[in-house]
Amino acid sequence: MGVVEVVTVLLLLGFVLGCLRKAVRYATMPMHLRWELYPVAHEKERAAYGGSYFEEVDWWTKPRQVSRLGEVETIAREVLTLEQVRTHNRPLWLPSLAFHYGLYLLFALGAALLAGAVPGVRSLPLLGRLGGGRALAAWAGAGLALATVGCLALLARRTLNAELRRASTPADFFHLGLLLVVFAASWASLLGADPRLQLAAAYVKGMVTFQPVERPPGALAAAVLLVGLFLAYLPFSHMTHFFGKYFTWHSVRWDDVPNLSGRFDARVGKLLARPVSWSAPHIGGDGKKTWAQVATEPVPKKRAS
Amino acid sequence: MSDVERRPPVTVKDLSREAEPLSPLDLDRLLPLPPPYDKVPPESLWKEMSDERKAQVDASLDGISALNLKRPADPAEEERLVEALKAGLGKLLSADDNWGFLQPLALTLDHCTHCQTCADACPIFEASGRAEIYRPTYRADVLRRLVARYGPGANLLKRALAGSLELNFTTLARLAELAHRCTLCRRCTQACPIGVDNGLITHELRKLFSQELGISAQEAHGSGSVLQLSVGSSTGMTPAILKDNVEFIDDEMSEKVGYAVKTPWDVEGADVLLMHNAGEILAWPENPGAFAVIMQAAGISWTLSSELLAYDAINYGLWYDDVQFSRVALKHAEVARKLKVKKIVIGECGHAHKALTVVADRLLGGDLAVPRESFAPFLASIVESGALKLDPSRNDFPVTLHDPCNLARALGIVEPPRRILRKIAPRFREMTPHGVENFCCGGGSGFAIMSGNNFESFRNLVSGRAKLKQVLDAFAGELGPEVPKYVCTPCSNCKGQFRDLFRAYGVWDTSRILYGGLVELIVNAMADVKPGFIEWEFH
Repeated sequence: MGVVEVVTVLLLLGFVLGCLRKAVRYATMPMHLRWELYPVAHEKERAAYGGSYFEEVDWWTKPRQVSRLGEVETIAREVLTLEQVRTHNRPLWLPSLAFHYGLYLLFALGAALLAGAVPGVRSLPLLGRLGGGRALAAWAGAGLALATVGCLALLARRTLNAELRRASTPADFFHLGLLLVVFAASWASLLGADPRLQLAAAYVKGMVTFQPVERPPGALAAAVLLVGLFLAYLPFSHMTHFFGKYFTWHSVRWDDVPNLSGRFDARVGKLLARPVSWSAPHIGGDGKKTWAQVATEPVPKKRAS
Repeated sequence: MSDVERRPPVTVKDLSREAEPLSPLDLDRLLPLPPPYDKVPPESLWKEMSDERKAQVDASLDGISALNLKRPADPAEEERLVEALKAGLGKLLSADDNWGFLQPLALTLDHCTHCQTCADACPIFEASGRAEIYRPTYRADVLRRLVARYGPGANLLKRALAGSLELNFTTLARLAELAHRCTLCRRCTQACPIGVDNGLITHELRKLFSQELGISAQEAHGSGSVLQLSVGSSTGMTPAILKDNVEFIDDEMSEKVGYAVKTPWDVEGADVLLMHNAGEILAWPENPGAFAVIMQAAGISWTLSSELLAYDAINYGLWYDDVQFSRVALKHAEVARKLKVKKIVIGECGHAHKALTVVADRLLGGDLAVPRESFAPFLASIVESGALKLDPSRNDFPVTLHDPCNLARALGIVEPPRRILRKIAPRFREMTPHGVENFCCGGGSGFAIMSGNNFESFRNLVSGRAKLKQVLDAFAGELGPEVPKYVCTPCSNCKGQFRDLFRAYGVWDTSRILYGGLVELIVNAMADVKPGFIEWEFH
């Protein structure tokens, strides 16, 4: 494989491993104390008004009515319509919607190119188009157009709206700027070197089958490398919210599992055996005392202020 | 302050900048109130700290001091404080020191896109006239910048992308105060498309200051959880005083309802251990009294406990300190276990609900796992069972319901109080918004008990302003004094805030709006008690 292919593979690996590492980090953090926030989407008919099982007298004696479908519906609505932004931040909604739909299309395109690179796939009915052509080009064009317009609109609003500008960090501008560079390179490749995406499909196939095309055109190579760079950087940014959201919603906002029949006792017992080093005088954590000890032993008298 | 000089809006970076104060309240930009309250000059509710007091404590954020934070005597002390803050950042992100909140905190720190979808949901930010320092993301970004600079894994790239912020005593003091300009209502979290929890950031900042630097609101710590753990109640009531007071309430109730009312004490094996916020006993005795009337009339097997802590359901640690929180929660459960009651029913105290029912849930294992239930479904089941003879015409006056954040947003208890009100209050109407989208009363997260220096000005002018407007809007067209009106407020801290808010704006005199609990309305509608349980007097 050539240098470009090797670098591309490494960047993509960085993306996958970076995301995995971050997701595993969240998933393996200690069980947190309950901190749910209503409405909780799996509360069946109660979810519509934000109610919970706590509304029932002797709730612990009754079976919980949990609707996973409710969770899926809520998340799907959020992903597909950006409902919260539409409701609470209307000026940002259309730019954000265009941007996200553009990205959805582009990620789907990437997945399609990868799928089409698997030997034999393109010989299946209709899937021959994954080797490039008008349909694929239209797909890429639509995705790029939506993403570019959305990104420009978001950048404009972040720059021109004084409140939003003040509340932005350097990272917010950097991400939008980086994406615009990626989109510009992608446009250059699509409109110049590879208008039917045949070369891109061949490039991807070459990587997947370890039989790279001889030498990709400069514009395509630049686009591929920039996409790769962006993806490799993504796990280090707040843009991992595309999977972080699973944790924030499902593992925090909707985590309402009650501690019935000692369900969590063993896990909590281990957590309470962890050492405490908070050093305010009323705690006196020394890195040796455990949570169980500081919570149950007499309270140290002194207080700094 | 109404003639506050228009200054350039404050950014996160400015937090460390010398300015006195950095962002004073702009009284001309506060959320407008409907007539006739638009005529109440905000200046009349603003209390400027004296120069002498300002010299003693730091009020450099907005001219308000909630914490009485003294300036360091010398550079060495400043250095010690700053180093303690840096150490605390590491502990906040440690799986040993903060296992209970590490995952939600890490997710929140990592994922904010600064889209500001949360901003309009914050009643404080809106009511202040959109002052930048009260923006939900503002204090979160201060924390993010400090973590990027001094936290675990800090590096140059993180610093550059997060944005700069100098850490000195001014930054520290303002950040500590900033953590006390949010009521932890979590409306911002509800609005966030990603699930970022700026309310949690407030909670974690307060923990950092309390657990590492020993800095917290005196009302929540010294005369709050510390007093409760040593004496039994933050009111200072010992068991003997408590019993005296409740005996007095029983006598008063007997006289009001026309038959003997007796509160049972320490009944082993009772079906219900009722736990009140002890502040009710002193400030609103008609509330625990009404509970006793209902329990007795419904034939419930119940008891109060005179054991230390069990007669005060409060747990102020919920707002600022996990260790104090755990200490109190364990004591509460321990008493219920010893009494062998079938369940704990928590009275009209919102934060006690969240503390004992939700946040402490996983800590209370084994035989400490005594079931906990809210008063709301419990009373709804009594009202709907027909155990009480009710005459709703006795409540023939406009009533609206304030949903305490800790009942609605934190526990999802929305319908039970409404099921009751529909049966007993023919002129009940909703506020807008309500239920899980309600506005905080402005006294949440301990604000209702905090009045030191000029903090009450903040509560009345800013944190409670959106709620006041909601109440007034709910009674639009009837705001004159000729029609008595009732804000049903089933939470002690919310009642404290309504009391102060209504007093400050003269709401009772101008509009005859009374606040009170749900149980008082129920007893007021009971056909077999003397009419007129609710006394239309402001207190």
